[in-house]
Amino acid sequence: MEATNGTPQSKAGDWRSYDRVLLPPIEDLHQLEVYREHGGYGQLRDVLDDPDIAPGDVTTAVKESGLRGRGGAGFSTGMKWSFMPEPDDRPRYLACNADESEPGTFKDRQLMEYNPHLMFEGILLAGYAMSIDVCYVYVRGEYADWIVHMEEQLEKLYDAGLVGENILGSDFSMEIVLHKGAGAYICGEETSLLESLEGKRGYPRYKPPFPAQKGLWGCPTTINNVETLACVPLVLEKGPEWFANTGAEQHPGPVLYGISGHVNRPGVYEYPTGMLISDLIEEVCGGMRDGKEFKALVPGGSSTPPLRADQCEGTTMDSESLREAGSMMGTAGMLVLDEDTDMVSYLRRVTHFYQHESCGQCTPCREGTGWLERIVTRIDEGEGQMRDLDLLFDLCDQMEGRTICAFADAAAWPVRYTIQRFREEFEAKVKPSIHPVSADVSSGADATAPATEG
Amino acid sequence: MSGFDIKRPIVELPDQDPEQQIPDEELVWTDAEKKKIEIWKDQYPEPEAAIMKVLWLAQEKYDYLPPEVIRFCADTLDMDHARAYGVATFYTQYYKEEEGTFVLDVCTCFTCQFTGGYDILHHLEEKLGIHAGETTDDGMFTLQSVECLGCCGSAPMMQITNGVYCHNLTTEKVDAIIDGLENGEVPEFTSVTLPQDEDEMGGNRRSDVAKTETYQTQPRAEHTE
Ligand SMILES: Cc1cc2nc3c(=O)[nH]c(=O)nc-3n(C[C@H](O)[C@H](O)[C@H](O)COP(=O)(O)O)c2cc1C
Ligand code: SF4
Ligand code: FES
Repeated sequence: MEATNGTPQSKAGDWRSYDRVLLPPIEDLHQLEVYREHGGYGQLRDVLDDPDIAPGDVTTAVKESGLRGRGGAGFSTGMKWSFMPEPDDRPRYLACNADESEPGTFKDRQLMEYNPHLMFEGILLAGYAMSIDVCYVYVRGEYADWIVHMEEQLEKLYDAGLVGENILGSDFSMEIVLHKGAGAYICGEETSLLESLEGKRGYPRYKPPFPAQKGLWGCPTTINNVETLACVPLVLEKGPEWFANTGAEQHPGPVLYGISGHVNRPGVYEYPTGMLISDLIEEVCGGMRDGKEFKALVPGGSSTPPLRADQCEGTTMDSESLREAGSMMGTAGMLVLDEDTDMVSYLRRVTHFYQHESCGQCTPCREGTGWLERIVTRIDEGEGQMRDLDLLFDLCDQMEGRTICAFADAAAWPVRYTIQRFREEFEAKVKPSIHPVSADVSSGADATAPATEG
Repeated sequence: MSGFDIKRPIVELPDQDPEQQIPDEELVWTDAEKKKIEIWKDQYPEPEAAIMKVLWLAQEKYDYLPPEVIRFCADTLDMDHARAYGVATFYTQYYKEEEGTFVLDVCTCFTCQFTGGYDILHHLEEKLGIHAGETTDDGMFTLQSVECLGCCGSAPMMQITNGVYCHNLTTEKVDAIIDGLENGEVPEFTSVTLPQDEDEMGGNRRSDVAKTETYQTQPRAEHTE
């Protein structure tokens, strides 16, 4: 797609005249009647009515669309669905991940408030594609008000014969159940979510076996994020080509950017993927607050490594570009920070979060997150020493890849990269050494990680 | 490794045999509640999975979950007491101790941290004369500093007693909320308008909510801890 208005490097094409599809501007779209007036559940009807559309065709369309999960990991959705084994006598489950607890992320809540039926239709289409019997929507407990709103709509769906036995008179039956969490970040991790759904403590499970083989109650299960599922009706309505040609080639589609922090106009915005970070800050959000300098960006929730302003130059919001820049797309919950931000204080708060939320099953994570917090706190309070920075890198090495779930990695990344990218600020806070040495050699011969990046 | 003063938190073991708070005769479900529980049990292949919903129901009914209430919930679903305790203690929103009439959960996680979350927290600490984690003497308010509530665009923000969200907080706004709560007035649900809706639809899209707010430029944080 040729950029017309946007800056040349943007992959989002003519984003200024982009028409929203996840949150189209329609009053009261969250009401079933309004959603149906605007063609809602039409995709479901078409799929169920047309004897030529087999469940596998829906999966193929999703695969062709290039849709990648919006819950953080960015895995191909069509591929994930195709991991489900052939139907046997076991029940099959779908879990819709509406736990949304990654700090900096608030887009699923807006989608559930303003267009819940797009999610429900996506759930039903995914259910048809994978021959699902029951879908559990796991909503974080804090979203109590929104759960009540969704319960009302779900009841209407049952009454209208859109959920339950023989949906729209077809031989496809599926239940949807809302499940309210109770305040545990880790339950967003897919296997922890399954444990929680089974009525247990939310301890993540070892993989393999993967949920597609052995998920809920030992049966085949797929887990998808709210926004991922909401994209499915759009893929069918507008066609996989449309989806694949929207935004960044390797990571296409519409996406909800949840932008917060030191910008003039924070909020949830819908645009194609591949938006230039500079366009999002300057044009979409009206620039930095009080005309301050842009300093750092956390592009997709607290687990994604923060980027310095210079690393964001020319970078677009899609996995490839962000990976090159040194971070990840995550949830596209973007925290924008200005020049006055103290990155040591930032890291202190982030490590506190992970210390608080570790489920405690794995020693490197349970102990490591506590150490990270205590050491960063010590540095922040001016009691740290230069070698503490090495100790932090060492700790990160001992946590990453050595635990049951990815939480420990998610806790270590911000530490590793914040120090590497804002090292001066950390050095300025540690106690002066008796033997002053420059930053590049202070890590010593047995340092576990380079003192600075590249 | 001299010089490292890594302090271990002292773990206080809970009282192994606490005095019963809710008398046995009050530990019964009404017919309406029983009906709900039956529906929940049918939603899952194993009735135990309904424990989270049953604990929520019990918390609404008894305000908090002392051990006898957790045991009562376990018995309702024919599950081991220990497993139900395990669940109740894993999730932070289940209150294991009696809390104030209103629990003020102020978000101080990173967006809120840099947009005044701690300023709001400290203002409340001073106003109520308690520290985060404590309850006022009159039992009206419990103050907590919590992790991201998924509303970072309208930071700083807080949630009241696992319920309503209050957005774009300022000290004046917080004062008004506290005054209201003291008179038993809980703020009503507020819908936060999408910026693109303001441009394209002239405001909020929901006609069924009375109160709306917009995402606002976030304040400057005086304190970040
Ligand atoms: C610690 C941790 C927390 C997570 N929290 C969430 C969450 O709150 N919401 C979410 O959708 N995915 C979350 N995920 C990602 C899920 O494990 C899973 O990848 C995702 O729900 C899959 O859906 P998708 O493929 O549609 O993105 C989390 C992962 C980890 C490791
Ligand atoms: S890595 Fe951390 S959060 Fe994940 S299972 Fe292990 S202890 Fe729990
Ligand atoms: S950081 Fe406060 S709501 Fe997300």
